[in-house]
Amino acid sequence: MSRLADFFSGRSTSDTPVNTIPRGALVWLIGSFVLLLLPQLNRLPWWLVAACAVLAGWRWLAQSGRIRLPGRWLRTGIMLVLIAVYIGTVQGRFTVDTAASFFVLAVGLKWLETRSARDFYVLFFILVYLSAVNFLFQQDILWAILTFAAIGCLLIGLQILNAPDLPDSMKSGWKRLGLLLVKTLPVVVLLFVFFPRMAPLWSVPLVSGEARSGISDTMRPGDISNLAQSSERAFRVTFGGAPPAYRDRYWRGLILDYLDGETWRQRDAESYQRPGRVALDGGVGALASNQYDVLMEPTDQRWAFSLENSMAVSDNVFDAGEDLFRFRRPADSAVRYRLAVEPGQVQNNQELSPAMRQRYLQLPSDSNPRARELADELAAAYAPDQVVNELMTRFREQEYFYTLRPPAMPRDGIDALLFEERRGFCAHYAGAATFVFRAAGIPSRVVIGYQGGDAGAGDEYLIVRQYDAHAWVEVWLEGRGWVRVDPTAAIAPSRIEFGLREAMAEEGSFLENNFTSPQRYGDLAMLQWASLQLDRINYHWQRWVVGYQGQSQMNLMSRLPGGIGMRELGYITAGLVGFALLVAGLVSALSMRRGARQDGFRRVVSGWHRLCEQAGVPVRSGETPGALAERLAQARPAVSETARIFARTVNSHYYNAPSVNNEGEDARRLRRLLKTMKRQLKRGDEPEPGPRTPLHD
Amino acid sequence: MIKQTFKRRWNSWIGRRIPRADTQVFSQKNIFILPTGAGVVFGILLLIMLITGINYQNSLIYLLTFALGALFVGAMHQTHRNLSGLTLALVQAGEGEAGDDVPFRFRVSAGKDSGLAILLAVEDSKLEGVHVPSEQSREVVLPIPSAHRGYLRPDRIRIETRFPFGLLKAWSWLRPTSAGVAYPRPIPAPEVLSQVEDGSDAKKEAKVAGQENADLRPWREGDMSQRVMWKRFARSGQMVVADWEGEQGSPHWLDFNAFPGVDTELRLSYLAWLVADRLQQGARFGLNLPGEAIEPDTGPVHGERCLKALAVWGEQPPREQDALAFGTRKAVDGAAADRVA
Repeated sequence: MSRLADFFSGRSTSDTPVNTIPRGALVWLIGSFVLLLLPQLNRLPWWLVAACAVLAGWRWLAQSGRIRLPGRWLRTGIMLVLIAVYIGTVQGRFTVDTAASFFVLAVGLKWLETRSARDFYVLFFILVYLSAVNFLFQQDILWAILTFAAIGCLLIGLQILNAPDLPDSMKSGWKRLGLLLVKTLPVVVLLFVFFPRMAPLWSVPLVSGEARSGISDTMRPGDISNLAQSSERAFRVTFGGAPPAYRDRYWRGLILDYLDGETWRQRDAESYQRPGRVALDGGVGALASNQYDVLMEPTDQRWAFSLENSMAVSDNVFDAGEDLFRFRRPADSAVRYRLAVEPGQVQNNQELSPAMRQRYLQLPSDSNPRARELADELAAAYAPDQVVNELMTRFREQEYFYTLRPPAMPRDGIDALLFEERRGFCAHYAGAATFVFRAAGIPSRVVIGYQGGDAGAGDEYLIVRQYDAHAWVEVWLEGRGWVRVDPTAAIAPSRIEFGLREAMAEEGSFLENNFTSPQRYGDLAMLQWASLQLDRINYHWQRWVVGYQGQSQMNLMSRLPGGIGMRELGYITAGLVGFALLVAGLVSALSMRRGARQDGFRRVVSGWHRLCEQAGVPVRSGETPGALAERLAQARPAVSETARIFARTVNSHYYNAPSVNNEGEDARRLRRLLKTMKRQLKRGDEPEPGPRTPLHD
Repeated sequence: MIKQTFKRRWNSWIGRRIPRADTQVFSQKNIFILPTGAGVVFGILLLIMLITGINYQNSLIYLLTFALGALFVGAMHQTHRNLSGLTLALVQAGEGEAGDDVPFRFRVSAGKDSGLAILLAVEDSKLEGVHVPSEQSREVVLPIPSAHRGYLRPDRIRIETRFPFGLLKAWSWLRPTSAGVAYPRPIPAPEVLSQVEDGSDAKKEAKVAGQENADLRPWREGDMSQRVMWKRFARSGQMVVADWEGEQGSPHWLDFNAFPGVDTELRLSYLAWLVADRLQQGARFGLNLPGEAIEPDTGPVHGERCLKALAVWGEQPPREQDALAFGTRKAVDGAAADRVA
């Protein structure tokens, strides 16, 4: 423990000169810091990134002697200021996200104090943990490779720190590290497969407070068109059977049933649940033909997206009513869940209770008079289902436009949309249609989620992206239950049949602000192909490596012969570690022996030395074999002759011209002589046999 | 008390493990390996990472933890191999003035594997960053601090490596048999001439004037037989030596007895200074020590011989079996600490 105490009680860090850390080591340390910051760039506050850049740059310039590191007061001042800004930024929220930012801040501040090797190690430890924290947020294969590369840089830095003046240290360092990794790889892989995936030990704070792109639980008329500019992945779906037709790919996420001025929201806030432990398991085994797996990107929200008439299969999602599904814990990292389509299961023909009816007829008082007028007309003339058809016909036959560039409609937006501008996006039309239905006395609600999904590479799965975000309407029709009505399908059928790209082909507004998205350049086949292949690699990475959790492990183990449970896995792991250590030990022992065998001659001589020591003749350094033999002969006359021959042989071996194969011959001869000497010694030790006396006289 | 007992046991165990020799080949038998402070912290960090991985069910953190853990074990192997197969030989135990660092010359030879970033250390004195490629050897000089004149033999010379990552250290010791020598520190001597006369002419002795001023004192070991007052011995049976004040000695002899009443070490220091002084002048001189006399001669070899005689005068050469350090600061401090205790 005292070593530990030594390690932590830094001695006189402030007076040691800056240059105790070799330049090369510092370069790798800073390089690795930069690499580890990259995956976090969009999460970190801008000031923190700037501060880190300045502080690391300061340290770097100090290394080359151009400027000095700050003294204690200035350092304390900088620290206090940055910590104050940090506290101001996080405002008392304690989440993994803020903790990760704090880590970054700690590294940034530590740059000014990095003077000795000990500080270097402190930074090394923080950066290693920072890379683990990175994995909480980013699990894509490219980010994982980047993070492992950063760890590699750290280890190179350590090697340079420990041997600063070694020539060509970088190349040999990478080589050494690579060899080490290759040698340990089998153990790492086996440990990864067999280490028992225990349940989380306690529930951990949530990742939150981060702006993620994705649908939200409120909808203003312009909202979803912002999402249409993003080609980020929302989720990927694998079907056990054939995927449904494009026009039927409605992924329901949320129901908005309360119109508050212009904004649609949920009347009842989602019921609060204590954050549970992380459970990312999403069902195992082959998919049945009616089942589908969804691998969802993190949303920090509890809602899951599902097709109509679905049932929960994996137990990390549950049925929250109204044919919607919720996670037991916000999806703070990529999560996979499994659902099954069971058309018969959901009862659509039950009665709507008066309270519910009232709820789905709610409208704010006195707004959009022309829309209400239209609703009254329709309600007077038609039965509810015909009202719906009439409105859809109106959308289809009159001049309504589906556009990503709708005009601003500040006052009575629904009136403006329906009667004047006639230009809008799905959110506009869904909101307006629901308004009209409600005004006409038909219970209705806005549903938001996604619509569509393109095939990934090899048609293994569908990719649903943020630009597939969509809003539509559900109306309650007596005897039929909730029925989906999509005004967008009436206005721009291509959006529902083929997706947003087709729908916006004429307008040219598809991803018009998103220059870096590969999806924007749909006509470049190579780019599309590459992007899809990368997505496929990532999908399998997510599915099989990142998603390798308790149930997947149990599933894999159950396929192996012999029932392997948690306990057996523990035994296997312990056995593996022991076995690996044993193999390492054996290998090194064998290589030692091989080294020794090469010099069998020297071994015999040292055996002779041992024999002399045992015989009470200590070997003096620098003594010639002859002299030693003489002393041995004096001490133990029994071996005198053999010892002299031995010494002569050694001398002739050393001083005569070496011939090709006398090496082995000499060694063999010496071994024989040594054996003889041992025998002679033993015999000499026995008491002299006395004169024979007759047994009986 | 327990600590001391433990220390003694530990030392004797190491003594058995690593016999005294000027050459030591390092192998599994005599290499020790333990995590460094950083290594212990690294282990704790891996544990924390594992718990993080479990709590967030994060496979990549598992993967990272396992990779780093395996790397740690691999590094153990590597650090060990860095030292094993290496031969450390004391080529020359040096000479120097007491209180200064005495250079010891070592040869480090690598076996099949190269030895990188090797550290040699005795007490506070260190030599870092010795790199020996495989099948090659390097000569290095390690200055060893000496506390007083005499034989200088550190009990153990530590050889250590933390390569590649500094998370583990492997170390062993060389327990040399050869001892270096620390000369007395020269102190300018008052100009006094030797009382030894050229040719040991008995007649001259009687002629010297001022016999009344003789300082009579009892004989002690090392006094030259010419100087004993044999007449008085015949009379009283006491061996008495006369220190003649007015005696004119030969300038060719540097004499231990030329500084009456001066402490032995100081005398030796004076003599060391005188030797250096004569050497510088290129003079011919002899050295007279109680029990040892070096005939007058010139030249650096002669000077070295004289200095060495001064250095080890009255000292026992360190014995092979002796586990103690000789003449190093640690030995002196340790003895002092024992006395205090």
